[in-house]
Amino acid sequence: MKSILVAVVLLALTACTTIRPGPDAFVSAETGIAAAEKAGGDEFAPVEMRFAREKLESAHKGMDKQKYEVALYLVEQSEINSELAIEKSRAAKSRRRVNEQRKSNDELEIRLRDTFGDEFE
Amino acid sequence: MKRSLKQISLVLLLAALSACTVAPKKDLALERVRDDLNSLKSTPELAGYAPLALGEAERALRMAEQATGNEYYRSHLVYMADHRIQIARAMAEREQNEQALDVLEDQHSGMLIKASQLDAAQARQEAETARLLVATTVEDAQRAQREKEEALAKQAESSRAAELATEEAQQARRLADSRASEAEFARREAELASEQISSLERQLENLQLRQTESGVVVTLGDVLFASGQTSLVEGALSSLEEVVDLLQTEPDKKIRVEGHTDSSGEAEENVELSKLRAEAVRQALIDLGVAEERITSAGMGEDFPIASNEDEAGRARNRRVDVILLDN
Repeated sequence: MKSILVAVVLLALTACTTIRPGPDAFVSAETGIAAAEKAGGDEFAPVEMRFAREKLESAHKGMDKQKYEVALYLVEQSEINSELAIEKSRAAKSRRRVNEQRKSNDELEIRLRDTFGDEFE
Repeated sequence: MKRSLKQISLVLLLAALSACTVAPKKDLALERVRDDLNSLKSTPELAGYAPLALGEAERALRMAEQATGNEYYRSHLVYMADHRIQIARAMAEREQNEQALDVLEDQHSGMLIKASQLDAAQARQEAETARLLVATTVEDAQRAQREKEEALAKQAESSRAAELATEEAQQARRLADSRASEAEFARREAELASEQISSLERQLENLQLRQTESGVVVTLGDVLFASGQTSLVEGALSSLEEVVDLLQTEPDKKIRVEGHTDSSGEAEENVELSKLRAEAVRQALIDLGVAEERITSAGMGEDFPIASNEDEAGRARNRRVDVILLDN
């Protein structure tokens, strides 16, 4: 019975009094945002970019309020938003290339039909 | 101790209860995420394009589902799982797009290849058309040439036909001419024949007629009588007819028939023989229409030869009857 109590107390302690993360806790989130910016996130995934930045900002604030655990969650959420922004940007770019290629194909086909008539199939 | 234990138990119960009351709320969010992942997995055009990302999403979702601890942590895990799913979706979409792009690029180059082939074919066809055009032009020229030649040939043919007709006409004319000349020839032959006849007559006259002091003498050869005979041989009358014709041309003149012999045999007998022969001729001439009173006959014997009696030819000439158309 005593051991259970100890466990509950310990759990509560760990939950509330997580050790303050080191200064490099934000580094991965920052590099994530930088990478997302480089990937065109501001253009292709502005919502995720905003979240990534806001979550990072909130993480800093949580750190200031010594809510380290929440701050770490927010860092992770910032990171995953950056990651999503990168993937969305890549998907959008590939979609754009597909559309461009499709348009180009259509134009080429029209041009070739004009040139060769029904022979071009 | 007992009390505190009770208290703790109560707290735990409350916590469990609160967990139970909160759980349905969290379950709703989790369910939404789970549904999202399942729909992504069951989308055939996306599933399989990003297996690693899907695996991560699945792991994150399971973590959220199995998470114990405070609500904030759980909701954080749900948030992370939700984003993992979104990342997997984006990656699958990108992969899908990449593959679509490959197809489109293949199609693009395929069209260009086809175009270049058609271009080549078109160029070939144009070349062929040009060649055909040249060939056609040459053919046209040849046909025109042929037609011209045919026209010329036809013209030549018609002129040849005209020539032929002319020639035929000429041939017909020539044939007619030749027929005419045949007729002419026949006529000439006939004339010639009659000329010959008359010339024979003349010859007869020329040869047998002699102009003498007493008148025209017709000498009849020794053909009239057989040797030693005094009657005329058969057929002698027909040769005498010509003599009669001659004699009748001068109907007013008297006629003297003299018999002559060669020197063979007795002179007396020869006179007698010649006298009988002359009389036989005289009688024949009378029979042929000469008036009896115009004709006298005499036997002259061998004394008036006209050729030598030394050879047979001469003696043959000497054996004769002279019919003399007397001049008075």
